[in-house]
Amino acid sequence: MEAFLGGLAILLDPYVMLMVLLGTVLGIFVGALPGISGSTTIALLLPMTIAMGPIPAICFLGAIYCAANFGGSITAIMVNAPGDPSASATALEGYKMAEKGQAGLALGMSAVSSAIGGIFSVVVLIFAAPMLARAAYSFGPPEYFALALFGLSMCAAIGGDSAIKNLIAAAFGLLLATVGMDLTTGVERFTFGSYELSDGIGFVPVLIGLFAVGEMLDQAARRVGKAKIIHLDAARVPGWAEFKKCNRSIWIGSGIGTFIGALPALGATTAALIGYNETRRWSKHKHEFGKGSIEGVAGPEAANNAAVGGSMVPTLALGIPGSATTAIILAALIVQGVRPGPHLFNEQPTLLYAVFASMLAANMFYLFMGLYMAKLFARISLIPPAILWPAVFVLSIIGAYGPNQSMGDVVIMLVAGVVGFLFRRTGFSPAPLIMGLVLGGMVEETLKQSLIIFGDDVTGFLGRPIALALFAVTATGLLWPVVSRLLRVARAARA
Amino acid sequence: MLGAGLAAPRSLRAQEAFPSRTIEVVTHAGVGGGTDITARMMMVQAPGVFKQEFLVVNRTAGSGAQALQYLASKPADGHAIILVTQTHLLTQLRNPSLPQFADLIPVARATADPQLVLVRRDSPFRTPQDLVEAGKQRSLRFGGTHVGGVDHVTIFAFGRAAGIQRPTLVPFRGGGEIVINLVGGNIDTAVVNPGEAEAQLRAGELRPLISLAEGRLDAFRDVPTAKELGIDVTGYTLRGFCVLKGTPEDRVAKLEAGLIEAMSGPIYKSYLQNTGQAPDSVAGRQVWGAQLEQFHKDGREALQALGLLRG
Amino acid sequence: MRAARNPNPAIAAAVAAVAAAAFAGTFWFDAVPEGLPGLGAVDFPRLVCVLLFGLAALLALKQGNPSSEEEAPRIDRGAWLIFGACLLFLPAMEIAGIWGAIPLFLVFTGTIWGEVPLRTLVLNAIGLTAALWLVFVRVFQLTLPSGWLGAAFGY
Repeated sequence: MEAFLGGLAILLDPYVMLMVLLGTVLGIFVGALPGISGSTTIALLLPMTIAMGPIPAICFLGAIYCAANFGGSITAIMVNAPGDPSASATALEGYKMAEKGQAGLALGMSAVSSAIGGIFSVVVLIFAAPMLARAAYSFGPPEYFALALFGLSMCAAIGGDSAIKNLIAAAFGLLLATVGMDLTTGVERFTFGSYELSDGIGFVPVLIGLFAVGEMLDQAARRVGKAKIIHLDAARVPGWAEFKKCNRSIWIGSGIGTFIGALPALGATTAALIGYNETRRWSKHKHEFGKGSIEGVAGPEAANNAAVGGSMVPTLALGIPGSATTAIILAALIVQGVRPGPHLFNEQPTLLYAVFASMLAANMFYLFMGLYMAKLFARISLIPPAILWPAVFVLSIIGAYGPNQSMGDVVIMLVAGVVGFLFRRTGFSPAPLIMGLVLGGMVEETLKQSLIIFGDDVTGFLGRPIALALFAVTATGLLWPVVSRLLRVARAARA
Repeated sequence: MLGAGLAAPRSLRAQEAFPSRTIEVVTHAGVGGGTDITARMMMVQAPGVFKQEFLVVNRTAGSGAQALQYLASKPADGHAIILVTQTHLLTQLRNPSLPQFADLIPVARATADPQLVLVRRDSPFRTPQDLVEAGKQRSLRFGGTHVGGVDHVTIFAFGRAAGIQRPTLVPFRGGGEIVINLVGGNIDTAVVNPGEAEAQLRAGELRPLISLAEGRLDAFRDVPTAKELGIDVTGYTLRGFCVLKGTPEDRVAKLEAGLIEAMSGPIYKSYLQNTGQAPDSVAGRQVWGAQLEQFHKDGREALQALGLLRG
Repeated sequence: MRAARNPNPAIAAAVAAVAAAAFAGTFWFDAVPEGLPGLGAVDFPRLVCVLLFGLAALLALKQGNPSSEEEAPRIDRGAWLIFGACLLFLPAMEIAGIWGAIPLFLVFTGTIWGEVPLRTLVLNAIGLTAALWLVFVRVFQLTLPSGWLGAAFGY
């Protein structure tokens, strides 16, 4: 407790406070820009932070990380261009809401649920980090395989107008995930001798293409005739009623996000997608999903921001990064002479609590900024399409090229854009494709790793209780709708 | 190579002061990767030494292939330097169409991070001898990066030098995953940089059995080196700078001196120290070139034996 | 009504074609090196291809809803022009660099899109390009393609 108060006291230092504020503003900004993610920004600023001293530097970088995840949802909602891969699940419902003229509601709910998810995960981090971190050691390839199957098992249900189409899209995602050098054999697959493809197909260009460019092409096709009707309540922010409706989604998202974030091999994007699935599964308004459900914004946004705190768990308690961004934050800590690990909690608790306190503060800051600016950002939908959509395309090009500075990624983005356009016209949803792409590589890799570990003996899975439990949950989830229907039929027959 | 040939007249013309414009540092790591961070740490003080701007160029595709191609597309006048790792050498071996090792001039070494053979706390292998004996009975499961990668070569070389059965590589996505699976008991052992497993080593969850450094490490005084045990193998994660062949000798010398000066500054020194890397990591082209030469040879042998060299 | 027929067989055929191409592609992979344990490189992709075939067959048998005019309006000449402009962005970037291609693209597509006067489009193009340049090049120091023209000016 003393250490915690000490951490809070550090935050009262105006210099540290300023750094957190600065980090939050910068984080929202870069998060919203496709092409510059929180992790890129942190890496670029890393050498600059050396001169700051450990505490302001870590607080600054932590604030960027927290805020960037929220920032990604702004562009996802307004122009269907997820500014950060983790915001892709938000785009699914958020952009539909903006089309209905509820941009302000979506943005506001994103800010609220992001902040709750973020704060929830930091609280978990404070009380349970060392314990939760031990769970990471229990997750080897067989357990990740079971978890990835669980994530994929929901593909049939999300988005699109038929289960078969969803499964086809998911299978395409799985196929795309096999492109590149195979981890366990070193064989190049579907690369056609191109070096650009040997590292696989990146999420960022595919996401930007499917969502933003696909939407832009679609808008170009429907440019004449029915103009988009802009409702006057575009700037309305959520009130108590909306909050009550989303309460359950936010908690589901926060819990899932924290847990998935804490697993080193899974990040905020997976957390958001699984959060979206589960929000839908437990929602009382399932029919709203796919048409702009506010719960479908709250769930994944809570999840991807909870994953931020979650991924700090292994980073701080084990010295093993839980995501690409925490890998850089870890490097920043190490460069500052802080060695994360279990001992950090005993030896440098003040520093640790300063990190926690700054993350809490950053979450508060962007909550207020997000709610305040929602009205402002919502006016993006008032920009004439002739200016808006070409600008989205230009941003998409920079966004695809920027992270790896690769022309190949731009080409992938354009192809994904055409696919996204065709998807829209044939009743497919991009959501299952993304699930397949994100989880596909993991399903295959972890299966192969498991088989190597088990010496090519499939029965090895029987000796892994966690994996078996996850298989059981997956099977129940898949079979429950069938079983419950049978039960209902049986009951009706008896009556 | 082609780039060098085309550029020859231009570099002859450029007799004025060197460097005359921004120096590009090409790396195969994405922004924020370990190698990228090394480049950026070097660059904090380099502009002061060279009186020119430095710019990192990230060309991530193909495990160094694209970075090498980018370098070859630039004139060989010293304004483009590449941050080379062992990965580049293996990529060159597997892709003869790329600029080869012989097309590069080593300039200066930036990091030399020794590797340790680790086992988990309750592993039945208490001593190096236990490990070697068990390895003769069955194929040990080693954690490492992808098939045909640097770890694979090191593990193969270790296995051969120790006279054990060819180890089974369990490939993972990176050092963190290897460490977790080592603690979790999914693999028998792994070859890891001490920095990657620092928390687990300190907590006693992992035990170092053998060091793959040349001599005993300060932080691990009582861990014997492989060479002491009669296993003739070393394992380092190497990073350093090279330029394209054809770069004038005086410029290479100037780059070498300048880069070493930049990396002797306090910021780079504290970066090395804090990441647990040896302060004598920074070295000139003699040492650096010899080390690359050695790995080039070992890598070729290993890839050939593993059936990973095409044609 | 042109669109009033079941679109599913056509979609299924396209899906099956992609699966067939991918399946055939697996036969061109390099051989897996001797002595590696576990699954090979081709098993998983082939499994997914077979799965796609099965799903395509199911889709072909199902009656789909023909897309209405509202869901998928006909692609007119202007839309094709915009698609073409998107495609031409890459060569334009090679020649004029990204900072030349952006304002050209913004003005050209904006004009086809209509409703906004040319003067506004030009002003917007200049302002946006300058803002993007400031953010990405000056602040974040990303190297973006400068094209042949850029190279000629020594960038």
